Amino acid sequence: MKKQKVKIWITVLLCMTVLIVATGLGSVSIETSNILGIFAHKLLGIDLPNNLSSNIVSIFWTIRLPRTIAAFLVGSALAVTGTVMQSVLRNPLASSYTLGVSSGASLGVALMVIFGMTIPFLGRFSLPMVGFVFGLGTVLLAISMAMQLDKSLENQTIILIGMVLSLFVSSLLTILIVLSKEHMEQIIFWQMGSFSAIKWSHVFVLLSIIFPGILFLMYFTQELDIMTFGEEQAISVGIDMRRMKIVLISASALLTGTAVAFVGIIGFIDLIAPHVVRKIYGASHRIVVPMSALFGGAFMTIADLVSRTIISPSELPIGAVTTLIGAPFFAYVYFNRRSVTKKNA
Amino acid sequence: MMKYLNKILIVAMFLFTLTACSTQESEPIQSQANQPQQSLPTVDRAGNPVEIPKDAQRVISFAPSITQVIDEIGLRDKLVAVDSQSPNYVKGVDELPQFDMMTPDLEALAALEPDIMFVSGMSSAKGDNPFQQLIDMDVCVVTIPSSTSIEGVKEDNQFIADSLGQHEKGIQINKDMQERMDAIAAIGSTIEEQKTVMFEIAALPTIYSFGQETFLHEMIELIGAKNVFEDQAGWISVNEEAAIAANPDIILTSVNYIEDSVGEILAREGWENMKAIQNQEVYYIDNGKSSLSNHHIVEALEEMAKKVYPEEYAELK
Repeated sequence: MKKQKVKIWITVLLCMTVLIVATGLGSVSIETSNILGIFAHKLLGIDLPNNLSSNIVSIFWTIRLPRTIAAFLVGSALAVTGTVMQSVLRNPLASSYTLGVSSGASLGVALMVIFGMTIPFLGRFSLPMVGFVFGLGTVLLAISMAMQLDKSLENQTIILIGMVLSLFVSSLLTILIVLSKEHMEQIIFWQMGSFSAIKWSHVFVLLSIIFPGILFLMYFTQELDIMTFGEEQAISVGIDMRRMKIVLISASALLTGTAVAFVGIIGFIDLIAPHVVRKIYGASHRIVVPMSALFGGAFMTIADLVSRTIISPSELPIGAVTTLIGAPFFAYVYFNRRSVTKKNA
Repeated sequence: MMKYLNKILIVAMFLFTLTACSTQESEPIQSQANQPQQSLPTVDRAGNPVEIPKDAQRVISFAPSITQVIDEIGLRDKLVAVDSQSPNYVKGVDELPQFDMMTPDLEALAALEPDIMFVSGMSSAKGDNPFQQLIDMDVCVVTIPSSTSIEGVKEDNQFIADSLGQHEKGIQINKDMQERMDAIAAIGSTIEEQKTVMFEIAALPTIYSFGQETFLHEMIELIGAKNVFEDQAGWISVNEEAAIAANPDIILTSVNYIEDSVGEILAREGWENMKAIQNQEVYYIDNGKSSLSNHHIVEALEEMAKKVYPEEYAELK
């Protein structure tokens, strides 16, 4: 138990270091003293250092800081929902994406772009809002269809229906794009995913949904522990499996939907974070869920840092970076641990 | 042996005079240099050997930039099919059969029995030549990859004209283009305090711009301005921080996939202290004219000149 505590503290410290480094680095280098000056100015109202150009202040405060925080939040949300979905469905490849969040959101965004609609009062939040509603809607539709077909909501039914629906929605999207080529660029850019153009207003929305969402999911860690042992065990200790599945899947879809709506489709973290975190911290969800949040957040922050600095002034697509860093890292953690366990045995 | 040498010398001299004549107006096409007369090119712009039929009557164009040139040399009536984008740029071809550039229906194309078919590099972006089947059926498929330099654009113009047996028309198109460019360059080269320019071809969140090795970069230099990304090469996706730090005097945009791309740039959060935003120096440049690689880029060039230096180019027609 003591060892576990040390691991957790190391993780927290690592996360803080990652956040500090990520805000300190960018395609424009800003001195630490100036960064502190900007913080002092924005938070305490102290005058800015004299020689500091207003563009540097904008770059740090309006562009880099919200972007870094958003990357952390989105990474957390994707990792936590990946963990929850894998445990609920007892499938190591499951995630909210499997149930159609991404394809649903893409379809919503495509419709908005093609018909050039904006929702009154929402302005530039129209696109994320519709992406969110369609993403969540697709998952809820998948669950309700699964309920019609299978009263006990077997995992296989949920996954199968989710995948079929997801593919169906994707085909609608493809047809829409083919019929409306002039909007292809915008839709494809959106699908590629990016933390570019994320501002404070987006961060506040992300924070107000993702943070309580993760806390909500943490409330069910005991149920998640039991569910991983199998449905029979869970039922025998009095868990209403059907209700639990609906609650947890919907909450996960809400979180993923929010993330996807703002930054597009970024894969891989939802898939690997749960595996890596379980390898390091064991199986107890009381630890695995919050650690997934920290690990996913730190991982996404690093990926975003790489995407915006490595070929500066250009940028790499974030989805490519998460996979590029993630795949070897995942292989390392997975096989390294495996050989350790073998030796012990 | 001497006999041969003499013959070679005579041919070489003849070729030299021919080349010298045509360089006055435009660069000769390499493939043409092998031929003593104004005959058809034997190598296409991608370097593939081609056998272009004389006096082609049934022509297919698979890129709007090519369709525009064919229209300009007065052979629009010979077109039997075009790509689906061409009707947006050339009048009078919307009645023709249209094909998707990326997923062409080869059967339907073959059924049109074209003598020659012009395609851009766009269609072969996936790797192997998607028209191989047509080539196997003895259709003359000629590839003209999008050129990255103004010189290349001129060579493309000439190549299309030559392929259709209209060498003089090609020379004329390039001559007009060169004259208009020279008029700009004459003023551009005198500008001493060069303004810095950032040219967006895609907007936030995925800003795209360009460095050297693009004809748009050459155009910025021609008007007497400086591209803020001149130390880069080719098309680049631009990081928002880098865009703000570049702090250009002028921002140009050719984005037409969103409504009011100029207004969108002016309203960007965090950009408000940039020179271009504070001075409201953000302008739209026609998307078609600045993106299709043919003689129409000179119109975009004039548009850019007048937007960036309205006083200096006030006299320009």
